[in-house]
Amino acid sequence: MAKQTSLGLALAIMALAAWGIYSALDWPLKSKLFPLVIAIPLFCLAAAEALWVFFAKDAAASASDFKLSQDQSPEVARRRTALAAGWIVGFFVLVLLLGFPIAVAAFVFVYLKLQGKEGWLFSAVFTAAVWFFFYGLFDLVLHMHFPDGWLFGGFGGF
Amino acid sequence: MKWKLALLGALLPIVAAAQPNFAGKTVTIVVGYKPGGGYDATARMLARHLPDRLPGKPTVIVQNMPGGNSIIAANHMYNVAKPDGLTLGTFNRNLPIAQLTKVQGVKYDMLKFAWIGSAANEATILAIRNDLPYKNFEELRKAKEPVVIGSTGPGANTHDFPLLLKDLLSLNLKIVSGYSSSADIMLAVERKEVDGRAGSYNSLKPFIDRKLVRPIIRARSNEAGIEQLPIDESFAKTPRAKAIMALRSAPEVIARPYVLPPNTPADIVKAYRDAFAATIKDPALVAEAQKAQFDLDYTSGDEAVKVLKEVLSQPKDIVDEFSKYVKFGE
Amino acid sequence: MLDAFVQGLVLVLQWKAFAFMLAGIFVGFWVGLLPGLGGATTLALMLPFIYNMQPVEAFAFLLGMHSVVATTGDITSILFGVPGEATTAAIILDGHAMAKKGEAGRALGAALASSLVGALIGAAALAAAIPVVRPLVLTFGSPELFMLAIVGLAFIASLSAQGARGMVRGFLAGGLGLFLAMIGQDPQAGMARYTLDTLYLWQGLDLVPVLVGLFAIPEIIDLVVRGTSIAGDAPAGRINRGALEGVKDVFRHFWLTIRCALIGTFIGITPGLGGAVAQWMAYGHATQSARTPEERKGFGQGDVRGVIGPGAACNSKEGGALIPTIAFGVPGSTSMAILLGGFFLLGLVPGPDMLTKHLDVTFSLVWTIVLANIITVAACFLLLNRLTALTAIQGHLLVPVVLVLVFIGSYTSNSSYADLIVTMVFGAVGYFMVVAGWPRAPLVLGLVLGKIAENYLYISVARYDAAWLGRPVVIVLLVIAVGVVLYPIVQALRARRSHG
Repeated sequence: MAKQTSLGLALAIMALAAWGIYSALDWPLKSKLFPLVIAIPLFCLAAAEALWVFFAKDAAASASDFKLSQDQSPEVARRRTALAAGWIVGFFVLVLLLGFPIAVAAFVFVYLKLQGKEGWLFSAVFTAAVWFFFYGLFDLVLHMHFPDGWLFGGFGGF
Repeated sequence: MKWKLALLGALLPIVAAAQPNFAGKTVTIVVGYKPGGGYDATARMLARHLPDRLPGKPTVIVQNMPGGNSIIAANHMYNVAKPDGLTLGTFNRNLPIAQLTKVQGVKYDMLKFAWIGSAANEATILAIRNDLPYKNFEELRKAKEPVVIGSTGPGANTHDFPLLLKDLLSLNLKIVSGYSSSADIMLAVERKEVDGRAGSYNSLKPFIDRKLVRPIIRARSNEAGIEQLPIDESFAKTPRAKAIMALRSAPEVIARPYVLPPNTPADIVKAYRDAFAATIKDPALVAEAQKAQFDLDYTSGDEAVKVLKEVLSQPKDIVDEFSKYVKFGE
Repeated sequence: MLDAFVQGLVLVLQWKAFAFMLAGIFVGFWVGLLPGLGGATTLALMLPFIYNMQPVEAFAFLLGMHSVVATTGDITSILFGVPGEATTAAIILDGHAMAKKGEAGRALGAALASSLVGALIGAAALAAAIPVVRPLVLTFGSPELFMLAIVGLAFIASLSAQGARGMVRGFLAGGLGLFLAMIGQDPQAGMARYTLDTLYLWQGLDLVPVLVGLFAIPEIIDLVVRGTSIAGDAPAGRINRGALEGVKDVFRHFWLTIRCALIGTFIGITPGLGGAVAQWMAYGHATQSARTPEERKGFGQGDVRGVIGPGAACNSKEGGALIPTIAFGVPGSTSMAILLGGFFLLGLVPGPDMLTKHLDVTFSLVWTIVLANIITVAACFLLLNRLTALTAIQGHLLVPVVLVLVFIGSYTSNSSYADLIVTMVFGAVGYFMVVAGWPRAPLVLGLVLGKIAENYLYISVARYDAAWLGRPVVIVLLVIAVGVVLYPIVQALRARRSHG
């Protein structure tokens, strides 16, 4: 998994660097100097990593960064990861369609019910608490503005 | 007798309807910049003082919508904000120029906004370090060594004003750009890394008073303290050069523009114009603003529209020539 | 000067100023804690309230609020892996890892203690620098700032894994960060670079949505995958007992704490680098204190030194950042710019006057930082048990709340949904980098330093042609940069020699 992801990232960066170099060629000198100085070595480094993945026998040292927990079996981990990604994107779509205030309430409630498998009462109370905190702080105290959702006629936000 | 009462009764609702009432509502001022800058500070000050002069005394809050050098805020005001008097907008004074030079992404027409007015003028000057041997513009013209001017980047008056002086008046300047803010440039002046900067008289005044720099030349806008300075346009060698400098200076009189969305009803626009004028002209407020190091000058919505019409009706050859020198930016 | 020193303390201890400071601390506490609130935005919101205050009271309020944001931001970073502030992201790497091992108490204890030490050193630096501050800041011109950015970038080597391949990956991440920093309008010719024809990217990528996506999203995904609370299966009693241990850690590694605090102060003093860099350089320096490769690998898994370094640096830089703001009127960050606005509002003109005529006001600022930090740290220690208990709550209760805060935090900086997309994109990038074993810290360093390096290089060359390379401070910094890059390599070679 780590090897393929590393390869994927390296190839993606090669593509990005190549596009960066290509776009920069038409620019005036001062605008393109730094991008080229960065993108060309970036391309080479990415190529080096890609080659390493293909030809290296032992795994590379892992970075001093956090590692995802290994407690679950790979299938469970993969399924739950996809689920998590789905929830995140889903929340974003909810925000677009319903506007932040409603989306927050909807998301918290649905997440607690479906993913958390909590009871109706608990979910409702928890959602209400979160929503009041959100509303109290951002609307009443800070007067922050959230555009209406797309379903309600607002087209702003971008 | 009864008919008089009936007439009164008939007229009253009309009179009442002519006065918009914002009681209990929240008005938002959309600012095209992040908090901390001049546009934001002016907006927040207005947010504190406008409510008293608006019918119904609504709450006024500020929403920051930076991005695209405030083109995003202007687009929002033009296309998204509802013309119900509950949203005001303020943005980069150079946006009319962006429209004129057909910058990509512009989705507004300055002339179609319902203009409230401008809260300030901006007089642009060039100031150089006091210990340089050039005491006035004539001496600067004869300079043998290039005078280094620091700037933040194209689109800012720190850059555009000296650029035009250099290219159109052949002033011996070397413009070094990339500083992150005008305060950074002043630090560079103290370090003798650069010899001066251009900018608003307001922002340079503390340094002039401290005798770090001296003002040399100004643009069209005038302000107390710099009346004696020569004006850049007066040295222009051709009418075209003069037109280009005038075009750069034109937005200075609408330095802090405030608009309502297009098609806002006339009575709402009038209520805002009156409240705005009263607020800006209040001497107590002007004094407070001066303490906070920014100026308040009132320009009416009609005057603003007049200036805009002039800017946006420039002939194509002038616009093309202008675009060669001045790019739209921060 | 001594009487101004004492007078400053007296000014702060007046009951009105003190009360306002407490109010500011209370506001700042929540601002730092919540990812949705930025210190700068809130400062701007608070400005109207200070119009009618006396200078000392107003500053007690504003500074009281501002000083504690970094401390409580650390709490959110450690407990939830979500950057409470843009300046507290580095502490997530080891701090949150400790929380996941059930050592949240120890991490918090270390973070709080190092924050206090850092703040005290920053304040002491501010006080001590007052006589020399002008020549000090004036020595650092654009060439020196460029070299300083190079030194910062050199820390990428320390933040990478050991070995040639580790370095390549580290510099890949750093290079990617540098590349992303190029997005936007360039200040030389005004070209719109890599903006994909959108207005949103004209001013470049905003740091907060990127950080939040890069660090918070993978943590949230991991939390869902684990299906447990943050602390996992660690026994509840152990979680909060460690606070004292954490404090002892700070004193066990006292010189490291001091060095990182000095790094933070120094970054704060030099205007133009921005505050986000200090934490990463301190973290990089902390990793250098690992004596063996095994120890080195422990970073990112919960080494307390990875908490102490950024913790100290973040708070010390605040004291440092006040120096150019007060002495020159040049703000080192957005928050400082707003504070500067506050200065003007109250009739104080930053400049030599603040160091002579109004020296007592300047010292009252120093004292405010000191007192505000002491009070906050004390309050946090009292609340420690409650806070660490949060790591024992079931994950599925925290995930929606954290995700909501993450999204709001991203949205509110520019009022744009585009920031949410950036967060999600970088969430994916961060996730894949973690899976692939690539370090994320270099990406942030590259992103933060890219534009600074470019701008200052152009200014240096335009102004001095090639002569700037010969300036003494530039040469010193170049040597330091080379040293920083070589240090991990030399360490690895020495370790291999002693093993083989």
